[in-house]
Amino acid sequence: MLNIGMSIPRLDARKKVSGLEKYAADFYGLDFVWAGVKRAGIPHARIRGIEIESAKKIPGVINVLTCRDVKGSNRQGVVRKDEPVLADDRVRHCGDAVALVIAEDKMALSRALEQIIPDYDPIPGVFDPEEALKTEAPLVHEDNPEKNLLMKGFLSTGCAENAFNECDAVVEACFEVPFQEHAYLETEAGWALLNKDDRLEIVVSTQTPFRDRAEVSEAIGIEEEKIRIIAPYCGGAFGGKDGVTVQSLLALAALCCPERPVKMWWGREESFISSAKRHMARLYYRLGAKSDGKFHALEARIYYDTGPYDHLGGVVMALGLEHAGGAYRIPNTDLKAWSVYTNNPVGGPFRGFGVVQVTAAMEQMVDMLAVELAIDPVELRLRNALGKGDKNPIGVTMSGSTGIEECLATLKGNPLWEDREKWKSKAGSFKRRGAGMTSVMQGMGYGPVVPDVANAKIELTEGGKFRVFCGVVDMGQGNATTYAQIACEVLGQDIRDMELVLPDTSKTLPSGSASASRTTYTFGNALIGAAEILKERILKCANRVFMNGEGSDIALIPGGVRNIPSGQEISLSEIAGLLGNSERLAVSRFQAPVSTETPAEDPILRVYGVPHVIFSFGAHAAFIEVDELTGRIEVVKYITVTDCGRIINPQLFEQQMQGGVAQGIGYALMEDFVTERGFVNTPDLATYIIPTAMDMPDMDSITVDAYEPTGPFGLKGAGEVACNGPLPAIANALADACGIRVLRSPLTPERVLAEMNKEK
Amino acid sequence: MRKVFIPETQAELFDIIACNPKSRMFAGGTDLLVKLRSGQFDSDDLVSLERIDELKGVEDYGDEVFIGACTTHSALIADPVIQMHFPVLVKALRVLGSPQIRNMGTIGGNIVTASPAGDTLPPLYLLEADLELKTKDSSRLVGIKDFIKGPGRNDLAPGEILARVRLRKCPAYNLQHYEKVGQRNSLAISIVSLAAVLNVSDKGIITEVRFSWGSAGPTVITCKEAEAVLAGRPVSNESLEKAARLARKAVKPIADVRASAEYRRQVSGNLILRIQGLLNGSGDSIQFAD
Repeated sequence: MLNIGMSIPRLDARKKVSGLEKYAADFYGLDFVWAGVKRAGIPHARIRGIEIESAKKIPGVINVLTCRDVKGSNRQGVVRKDEPVLADDRVRHCGDAVALVIAEDKMALSRALEQIIPDYDPIPGVFDPEEALKTEAPLVHEDNPEKNLLMKGFLSTGCAENAFNECDAVVEACFEVPFQEHAYLETEAGWALLNKDDRLEIVVSTQTPFRDRAEVSEAIGIEEEKIRIIAPYCGGAFGGKDGVTVQSLLALAALCCPERPVKMWWGREESFISSAKRHMARLYYRLGAKSDGKFHALEARIYYDTGPYDHLGGVVMALGLEHAGGAYRIPNTDLKAWSVYTNNPVGGPFRGFGVVQVTAAMEQMVDMLAVELAIDPVELRLRNALGKGDKNPIGVTMSGSTGIEECLATLKGNPLWEDREKWKSKAGSFKRRGAGMTSVMQGMGYGPVVPDVANAKIELTEGGKFRVFCGVVDMGQGNATTYAQIACEVLGQDIRDMELVLPDTSKTLPSGSASASRTTYTFGNALIGAAEILKERILKCANRVFMNGEGSDIALIPGGVRNIPSGQEISLSEIAGLLGNSERLAVSRFQAPVSTETPAEDPILRVYGVPHVIFSFGAHAAFIEVDELTGRIEVVKYITVTDCGRIINPQLFEQQMQGGVAQGIGYALMEDFVTERGFVNTPDLATYIIPTAMDMPDMDSITVDAYEPTGPFGLKGAGEVACNGPLPAIANALADACGIRVLRSPLTPERVLAEMNKEK
Repeated sequence: MRKVFIPETQAELFDIIACNPKSRMFAGGTDLLVKLRSGQFDSDDLVSLERIDELKGVEDYGDEVFIGACTTHSALIADPVIQMHFPVLVKALRVLGSPQIRNMGTIGGNIVTASPAGDTLPPLYLLEADLELKTKDSSRLVGIKDFIKGPGRNDLAPGEILARVRLRKCPAYNLQHYEKVGQRNSLAISIVSLAAVLNVSDKGIITEVRFSWGSAGPTVITCKEAEAVLAGRPVSNESLEKAARLARKAVKPIADVRASAEYRRQVSGNLILRIQGLLNGSGDSIQFAD
């Protein structure tokens, strides 16, 4: 029976498809009440007062709360705690929460929300990250000594300024990428109950149950020990549930109606206006090479719009900065990035975490340089691709498995890629075809300072089955199934004998966030440790039963242990009976390896996660057809070649590749969260366009034979790397097809047509 | 509390309307329910027309075909009479909304909603559809051009319903074409659309041509001038370019979050240029295998 490397269908599939799986949004309970939020609706204003008395008088309204009712710090955030749970003196974007209503039913709730009229004194806002850095710009946080700057990072190697003079070819461009909405199927939802004994239970759609507990405790002023967070499977998250959404608000509401369940479930429009987006960014790039194609100098100036709050915006910027030069050897680099406060929507974590933006810029630069040098784009990348032991563009040694060269070589030899000219030549009238490619990479884990730790727990049940206590949330990727698969492999069991306990601060152990492509890597390693411990105990116990000496030839078999020489067997339930309760449980901790290098003079960048030691890599190709009459791009075929180490479950891996590419295609072609002076012009799914199945090309997900020695069974993270590829691959294909660059994405038909008109 | 009436006969329907003059009728609800949810109108009572069998189905009377207003888009796509005689309508229906919307939405609903982006409207303009409007004791026939008054506005009098759509069978065209430019391939609101029917003689001369555009003005746009420069002439890029220029002059597009007016104007003309390739039967499939 094989486990590792097998496409075992996800264990949650049947229950999800049949509707039995209970998401956070599905919790109600007897006599439950609704909680809802009054949103600012204005991008920047002082609050003179909020009239809540008339709302309170509406029949069915239990209470209306404002910041005055918050006993704790009333501040949320992971790094800089600058986001109020309920706005105090001002609002900083349209989605700010200004009041919280608790009501017996939805009707009373919505009437009360309409009735609350905040008295605003509008103040000028700032809506562009570069404008926000100017001295005269209105301040988003008056108490921030660095004005509208949240965080900046400078990294360099060699001497870029001089090196550009030594280059034979230099290309330069400024790219702009938009805000992207996560648009998960399950909008933010949760359920809370303050028990008789004053303990607060919160069921919530989250990627970060343990961190949430600490955040809620501090913001609301409840002891952490009294809070229990339960995290069912999320109906999608993609980074948008990395951090508090409904949690603190639910806690506040639960405190005012003890022993009654409180439910909060944001509608799509509320989710759109208030949730974090992928950071809009503007990126100024200059890349130079020698005539032999060797990259020689790179300069980048990157501005991330973090909106009014940190919400990991500094960390996102730092990861982007680290990846700004891509998977290449570049001896002279000068990289600078800024994460800037504005009155736009909140920028926050989103699959790719700052890397999507820089990959779009860097990989288009590489293709532009390929044209200048008349070198094939794959060949140019191969000449510069990082290998193990090389120093990357921030001067850090690549010490983990580094398979970018293998990915590029595999793509180069792919028959579709090899025959692309033939395919392109067959375009019909008013159609142009192009093939474009890109390299991708994604660092894994938290970086050198914040401990990237997981604590796994596994139990042999009295019935002789195994119970895996998942410390990290499964937000839809299927990592819970992979955990079961890992435990099966170590313990020699059948997947059907595995039971999963989903994250719950009262049952499972703190294991960090479901983010940073770390989920299976870190927890998987911890779980292998725990399963090994339990296995040893089981075998020891069996040895006693078999009356063998140490080192006898015995083995775990599905459901039992066999004494190989005698053929004698004992069932796992019998073993469970012989072990003490505590012996049936094993725990193990794993901490991810970190880099000891400090690439920047500014040590703070290490705290923000720079540098990483383990990266996943890939080479992508997009085959597109462009319509000359409408400017419309159709992605006909997409190929990913990926180094994510060894693949534990090929089916789940392919789903991650396809999902990442789908989200990336949306980002490349149509997704654009449009705001106008802070007001949202795309407030719903009718105006904010995400791709449908009809917009997806046929995709091939290819892997290279790779192995990461520190990974569980050789694995590296696969959750994010794919979404970095589509925008640059498609943009490069567009340049290949039509000789044009649309520097502002998404590459909408209108922008493409306008650029084609210029060419005429 | 809002009441929802679900009559099963026309007689029952007219009684309900008489007793509840402020109620709103719907036939599919794919537009109405969205507006209701977003609070675009208050809680009037609703009358569903979907279960009235008399308002459903396709009747072939030889020269004329009558379509019940409550026939769903899916049913029309599957109907052999519609497939045989009105391919331009079928092509438009195939790209309307999504499978779910096509299963719920009806042709009558699409007409009465009178959206500039309504996908059935450009073909119905080309086909010069007449609409049979009924009250309890009257009936009248109105041409679709006269029925649609503006965005969201139509010629229905209080208490009147759209009962049937009358289409005259037309001579077999060489080309019946509908192209919709949307923000994606399904569930898309048209940015601009072109419906076209053409007859080309054996000698390659255009004998008959009609165009209509959706989302290019407050109502469907037609352009006699563009048709005139093509009629009686051979199909050529030059003549199509001429027609395209005239079309760009005729349209009256707006700018919105989906596209600028300028883009709509340019593409309204550009879409005409596609016709030559379509007549040559080139370039439909782009699968990688070819």
